[in-house]
This record gives sequence, structure tokens and C-alpha cells, in this order.
Amino acid sequence: MNTGVAGTASRSLASLRAVLLVLFALTSIGPLLVLVVQSLGGAWFFPALFPEHWTLGAWNLMKSGDALPGALGTSVGLAMATAIVACTVAIPLGRALARLRGWPRHVAAAAAFLPVAAPPLALGTGLQVMLIGLGLGGSAAGVLIAHSVPAIGYLTLLFLGTFTVFDARVEDESRTLGATRAQTWRRVTLPLLRPQIAEALIVGFLVSWTQFALTLVVGGGEVRALPLEVFAYVRAGQDQRAAVGALLLVIPPAAAFVWLRWAARRTVVPFS
Amino acid sequence: MSGRAHQDASRGGLVGVLLALIVAAPVLAGIGYAAAASAGILGASADGASTARITRVLRDPATWSGFVWSITVAAMATGIATFAAVTAAVVFRGSRLTDRIGLALAALPLPLPQLVAAALGVWVLGQSGLLARLAFAGGWISAPSDMPALVYDRWGVGLVLTMAWKETAFLTVVASALLATRTKAAEDAARTLGANGWATFRRVTWPVLWRGLMPAVVSVFIFVAGSYEAAVLLAPSAPLALPLAIADRAADPNLARRGDAYVLTLLLLGMALVAVAAHEWARARWEPLAE
Amino acid sequence: MAAKRASVIATLVLLAACVSQRDAPAGQATVDSLAGLPWDSVLARARGTDVVWRMWRGDPSINAYVDGWVVPRLRDRYGISLRAVEGQGPELVNQLVVEREAGRRTGSASLLWINGETFGNLRREGLLAGPWSARLPNAAYVDSASPIIMRDFEQDPAGYESPWGRVQSALIYDTIRTPAPPRSFAELAQWIRAHPGRFTYDQGFTATTFLKGLMYAQGGGAARFAGGFDSTRYLAARERVFAWLDSLRPALWRAGATYPPDVASMHRLFANGEIDFSMSNNQNDVVTKTRQGVLPASARAFVLRDGTIANSHYVGIPWNAPNAAGAMVVADFLLSPDAQLEKMRPDVWADGTVLDTRRLPAAWSAQFQAIETDPRQVPRDTLAKYAQPEVSPRYHERLAADWRTHVRSAVPQRSGSGR
Repeated sequence: MNTGVAGTASRSLASLRAVLLVLFALTSIGPLLVLVVQSLGGAWFFPALFPEHWTLGAWNLMKSGDALPGALGTSVGLAMATAIVACTVAIPLGRALARLRGWPRHVAAAAAFLPVAAPPLALGTGLQVMLIGLGLGGSAAGVLIAHSVPAIGYLTLLFLGTFTVFDARVEDESRTLGATRAQTWRRVTLPLLRPQIAEALIVGFLVSWTQFALTLVVGGGEVRALPLEVFAYVRAGQDQRAAVGALLLVIPPAAAFVWLRWAARRTVVPFS
Repeated sequence: MSGRAHQDASRGGLVGVLLALIVAAPVLAGIGYAAAASAGILGASADGASTARITRVLRDPATWSGFVWSITVAAMATGIATFAAVTAAVVFRGSRLTDRIGLALAALPLPLPQLVAAALGVWVLGQSGLLARLAFAGGWISAPSDMPALVYDRWGVGLVLTMAWKETAFLTVVASALLATRTKAAEDAARTLGANGWATFRRVTWPVLWRGLMPAVVSVFIFVAGSYEAAVLLAPSAPLALPLAIADRAADPNLARRGDAYVLTLLLLGMALVAVAAHEWARARWEPLAE
Repeated sequence: MAAKRASVIATLVLLAACVSQRDAPAGQATVDSLAGLPWDSVLARARGTDVVWRMWRGDPSINAYVDGWVVPRLRDRYGISLRAVEGQGPELVNQLVVEREAGRRTGSASLLWINGETFGNLRREGLLAGPWSARLPNAAYVDSASPIIMRDFEQDPAGYESPWGRVQSALIYDTIRTPAPPRSFAELAQWIRAHPGRFTYDQGFTATTFLKGLMYAQGGGAARFAGGFDSTRYLAARERVFAWLDSLRPALWRAGATYPPDVASMHRLFANGEIDFSMSNNQNDVVTKTRQGVLPASARAFVLRDGTIANSHYVGIPWNAPNAAGAMVVADFLLSPDAQLEKMRPDVWADGTVLDTRRLPAAWSAQFQAIETDPRQVPRDTLAKYAQPEVSPRYHERLAADWRTHVRSAVPQRSGSGR
């Protein structure tokens, strides 16, 4: 029963919820609608609320040799590869760091966070110098390495947290029962970590997906990821094409996010 | 721990630290290169080792006004985003449909890079942007100049709002994850002991929440402060934000001045190092509470 | 133990990488080796190869011309597969410097789109291969009498870059909002005072060109500034330019406290009615931009009677180009009457030609003359009448740098209008 102070509180909470729901709907869907309209309209000037003429022109260009489809493919490939590479490195790294105590732990965790926090231009220049020296300048492999660096850093911290609370006794029990290290890893540990791995894959994907400065500096203009194309269009005043690219930037990760969330939810594992 | 386990742990520890340093190696290489280029040893403007460039850039008042501007804008954007994210995460706790919708809406801008958010900022918040056109249609303004200047303005309002909008999504996801896992047990305990909603929030939920959120908040701060794409689309020409000053110098027609970009990069890196230290401090304080 | 082995392997890999780079820089070596050989050898060497061309990719019209017209013809006629990728002046220089420091004797790009101070910087740093441009067959058709083509910002290309196109800077106005645009700097100043908050200029290259035009006008013409950089002359001119800007500052957009970052944002402000003028280094931008829906249909280009600056843009071959032969063939094709004519069409790019049409066979000259002018363009004879050449790039450098320190960073002292 909602009476008295508790009742007022829950009623105002309900209206707060409603207000916030509307607010977030407006501020999240509104801009997306702006992108859609911008992508479909030519010559959209003040004070017009809608473009002077609607045209599928910018979308149609995608069929014929425009830069966007290729850039989309490049970005998707890079992001998926980064997620997998970063996860593969970050899991054992996070586990190793979780065993540390004292100052090595602090140094290691700080070292892992450093590439995440470093301004992309500084990180990019350092990577560019190293990669050009290895002959990978301007190549997709070089950009993959470049994206993996902050991704590994971020995911290592994620797994550091995971393995800190992970109760290793489950693994010990499995070993006592006769399983090898590999079997324990595959049959016991990994399934337990499935939600965390899913989350890590998403984060790794997003770190690479939203990269701009790193791709530009390390790729040397040759590796055209989607953010670079969108930025070039915006800087050149080509708002219509930029909007098309921006919409392409939203859809794949949104889809990946939804899918991974659904996949992870199917494994409900109690965390001891 | 037994003797062998101890040995294993410390060796694994050394390997762990080494591997982490490898991840940090490109940044260290970047710091080294920037330092060398600032001193004139490397880079397009290499003209012999000297500290002249470093002192010249650091003595320029424009450098520091830009630095302070970038930090202030980043702090405000982060503050607003944190507030909005915490509000969303707390209000939309639970598993009702409206909760899930609310959280999904708040997290929707997550996959957008900062440059798309910034482009939207120009298209929506500009003096001739969508809001201005709505105001015109409603008869409140008669020309773009009647709209408040939110883009290319001294206070960076458009930049703050745009970055806050984008980073709210990220922080909401982190905050709601924290609320869903970490704080539950403590809150249940508090409730069985008779504490009411607000007291539970103030004494139990919030302390755990802000400590868990701290590392993410530091990340957001340093992202916004170092963002070139957002600044180039929304920031004013004076004070010149630090990332813009760096790009400016790096493209200077006079090659000898390009080294200035590296001095400014070191400044930005210095800020990043402080952020890393703050992040590590926050993370270390939070860890015991996570178990 | 594992760590030690890993470090040994790493050292060996690094050593191997270093050793493999000890041969001569690819681009310069190719240019030298082809120096005495007939053009057919160059063609043969280039057939079946790839060329990576770093150029500005921000204009869809230019991209459509390159990707949709040039690329297929190069493939069909010469067997060359051309790939155009993003790369603008300053980053090109920076990257080539890094590549040189890393000892990359063979880079990735074989052709660069450059001019002005980018060319100057690359030449001074020894990052261009050459000389090679004189041996292109189509170089015979280039308008060698034109100071605008034969001098790149007063620098002698000396065979290290080959001309590609020419443009002339112009202002853009809206016929509906401004039926009678000002015709000189003096009239422009009057107009600005009469319409406060409706004029501005950007922080980039285009505005510096505009200010240089002002510098010429106040200084008595471009000829006064010819003959290399003169510091005294520059400082006197700078005072006049900044005085002009300072007197107008409160009447500028946002009271001159902030300036748009680039030309594209200026176009956006102009198209949306926040300001009444925009500017461009290419007088024909107005044609392509109205077609793309970036500028309103009522936009027109115009030049001031005080003169506007004309300059050319070129292509160059980097010192470490992997395929200099292919790059030369591409450069030659870009100079062909065919390619120059197509590029000049208003519905393609509307970029001026560097060829002397009188030297071409009659059929070609006729076609060049017959190109229709879009009504939005400035008529060709008007352009020719008011064209002024570029002078030493040092003027541009100093003006840009001094504008940044003295005008952009300066907080306006008189904030009377408070807009």
C-alpha cells in the first residue's frame, strides 16, 4: 500500500522514472533520427525543419565504388580481430596479474591502463615509429596491432578484476579429480567465465570500432576504417554522406551487443 | 603459501609485470619519441639537442589557457555524465520492462565514436542547428544570431553537452553493472537491519557505487580531455584546446615549429600519467570492496 | 629461460629488419635508372604494376573523377592499377620524415598531391625523387609561359613535381541575401561595418590566402612582393593587414572572438544563413558544392577587383616510392588533354587546366574552348584579368603563424558590441 511518506516517495520516484524515460528516449533516439534525416536529405539549410529534397543519393552511392562499404568491412574485420586477439592475451595476463600483491600489482595494473589513458596521438606516434620500423606501417596488420594495444590494456584490467574474485578452488577440485590443466581450462574455467568473456569481447570490439586517431596515424591514410571516412566527410562539409557513415557506425555494434547479451544470458552461473 | 607456490607466484608475477610493460611499451616509445622531438633530436624539426623549444612553448600563455580550458571542459562533461549515469542506473534498477528499456535507451549512444557525437552537436546545437530551427518554427527567434552560441564558444558549452551525452552511455552501463552485482548483498543486509530506502542508498549503495565507478570516471575524463575529433568540430579558436593546439603545430608550414606539437603532447601525456595514477589509486581502493 | 630466448630472437629480427633496408631509396633509384631511357621503357616497367597515390580525399567530386574516370583508363591503357588514399600536406611530410628515420628505403606511396609549402618542405628535406617531370611526353603541352604554373609559390619545381591543375581563390555570396556584393577590399570593409556579425574567415589555408590578397592590395600589387621573402616588407605589410582586421574585429561574426576551424564549417555557416560570405581556393567550388547540396542554389562566386590569387597544384614522387615508373606514367596521363579536359568540366571538378591549349591539335583546342561555363562560376576572362601569382611561401608561413599569435589568441580589447 502506498501511504504516507513512503507513498509520496514512491509516487515521486514513479514520476521521476517517467520523466527520465522520456528524456532518455528523446536524447537517444532524437539524434539517431537526425542522422537518418541528414542521410536522406540534400540541401538542408536553416530554417528548414526538413531537407529541401529527399534523395537516396548518398545511400545509392554505396552500391557503386563509394568508400563507405569498404570502410565498413575494414572496421568490422579490425574490430572482431581486435576483440579476439585482445581477449586471448588479456585472459592469461589478467590471471597472472591477479596473483600479484603489493607494488608489482600496482605497477602492472597502471602499465595496463597506460595505453588506454594515453592520448591517441601520443600512443599513435609511438606505435607508428615501431611499426614502420617493422615494415608494418600503413598496413591492416599494423593497425590491428595498434588497436589491440589499448584493447589488451582495458581487457587486462577487466580480467584482473574477474580473477581477483574468481574462486580457484573449483579448478583445484577439477585437478584433484584427474583432469589435466587444459581440460580444466576448457571444461571448467571457460564456461564459468562466459559472461565475462562475452563482456570483454564487446569491450574489445568497441575499443577498436570507435578508434580514430590511432587508425589515422598508424594506417597512414591507407587503412580506411569507417570513423576515418566519416570524419573526412564531416571535415569536408559532406554532411549527407557523413550521416550515412554515422548510421553504419551504430548498427553493427548495436547488433553485436544485443546478440552477445542474449548469448551470455543463456549461461546463468552462480559466482562463488 | 608453500615454498614452491611462492616461487611460482613470484615468477608468474615477474612475467605478468613484464607482459604488462610490453602492453605499455608503445606509450613509452611515444613518450620517448615526443621527448626526443621536443628536444630537437628527432622529427621534422630536428635541429640539435636543446631545451629552447620546450621553454618557449611552456612560457607561452596560450599553451596554459588551452590546457586549463581542456581540463575544465573535460571535468564538466565528466561530472554531468557521472550524475546522469548514476541517476539512470539507480532509477532504472530492477527487472521491469521499463527498467530494461530505460537502461537500453541510456546506453544507446555507446557505439558512437566521439566524432559522430560531435557532428551531431554541430547539427543539433549550432546556432542554425535543429534546436534553432525548432525555435524559429515556434517563433521564439528570428535569426540564427538570436540563438545562444553553443558551438565555437568560449565556454565550450556545446562540447561539454555533447561529450556528456556520449559518455553518459558508457558510465550508465558500468554503473548499472555495479548496482546489479556488487551492492546487492550489502543492501539486503542493511534492509534486514531496518534501514529505509534513502539511508540505505546514502550509507551503503553510494559509497560502493562511487568507488567502483571511479576508474571509469577517470577514463572518461582523460578521453574527453584528449579528444581531437570532438574539439575540432565544436571548440572555439581561443582559448585553443590542447589537442587542437597539437594538431595546429603538427601541420605548421614552418617545419621548425612542428616540434612544438611534441612539447604539447608531453603536456597531454603528463595529464594522462596523472590520470593513470589516479585510476590505479581508485582501483586499488575499490578492490577490497569487490570481493 | 624462455624470456632469454625470446629476447635473442627479437634482436635477430630487428637486426634483419635493419640490414634489409641498407639498399638505395627505391624512388630516387628508379628515377635515376630511367633517366637516359626512352619513354617506352618507362611504360614497359610500369605495365601491370600498382601505384598508391596519396591525395586529399575530402571532395566527392574529385574522388569520383579519380576513382571513376582516371583509374579505369589507366588500367585499360597502361595496365596500371591506381589506388588513391588519403594524405594531406603536413601529414605527408611528417610521415615521410618518420619513414626516413626508420630507414624505410621503400615506402608505400608512389605519388603525392602537393603544392606550395608542402613542396618546399619536402624539397628542403630531400624527400622527393627527381628530376623527372620534363621527360613526360605530355609535358610539352604544359603552359610554360605561365608564371602561375612554372612557379609553385615562387619556387622552381625543377622537375621534382609535375603540374596537374590550377585554381583561383574567390569569395562566395548568396544572390538572394546579397544582391550587390562588394567589389573591393575597401567596399568589403564598408559592408562588414554595415552588417555586423555577418562576415568571418577561417583558421586555415583559405583565409590565409584571403589575407595575402589583402596584403597585395594594400601593398600595391603582387609584383611588390615578388623576388623572395623580404622581412622588412613583410613586417610593414603585416601591420597594415592586422590594422585592417583589428578595425573590423567588433563587426565580425561573434565579434571576432572565435573563428571557424576550416572552410567546410564556413560553408555550413554561410549556407545556413549565419554569415553572408564564404570563400574558397577554387573559384569553381561553388559549382560542385551546390550540386552536392552543400551550398544553396542561389550561391555564386565572385572575385574582388583588387585581385585574387591563382596557383597551381602538382603531383610529386617521394624519395622512397616503390613504383616511380608507374607514378610517372600516371602523372603523364593526368597531363593528357583527355584527362585535363574531363577534369575541367563543371559537372566533374571544374579545375583549371595547366595546358596551353594553343599548343594542342586544333580539335583539342576547340573542345577546351567549348566547355560551357556554369552561370555560378566567375567568367574566365574576369578571372584572368584579376589573377595574381603566389609569392614566396615564407609570406604565407609568417602570415599564418603571426595571425595565430597576434589575432587568434588575442582577446578583443574592445568588447563593446558584446554579441
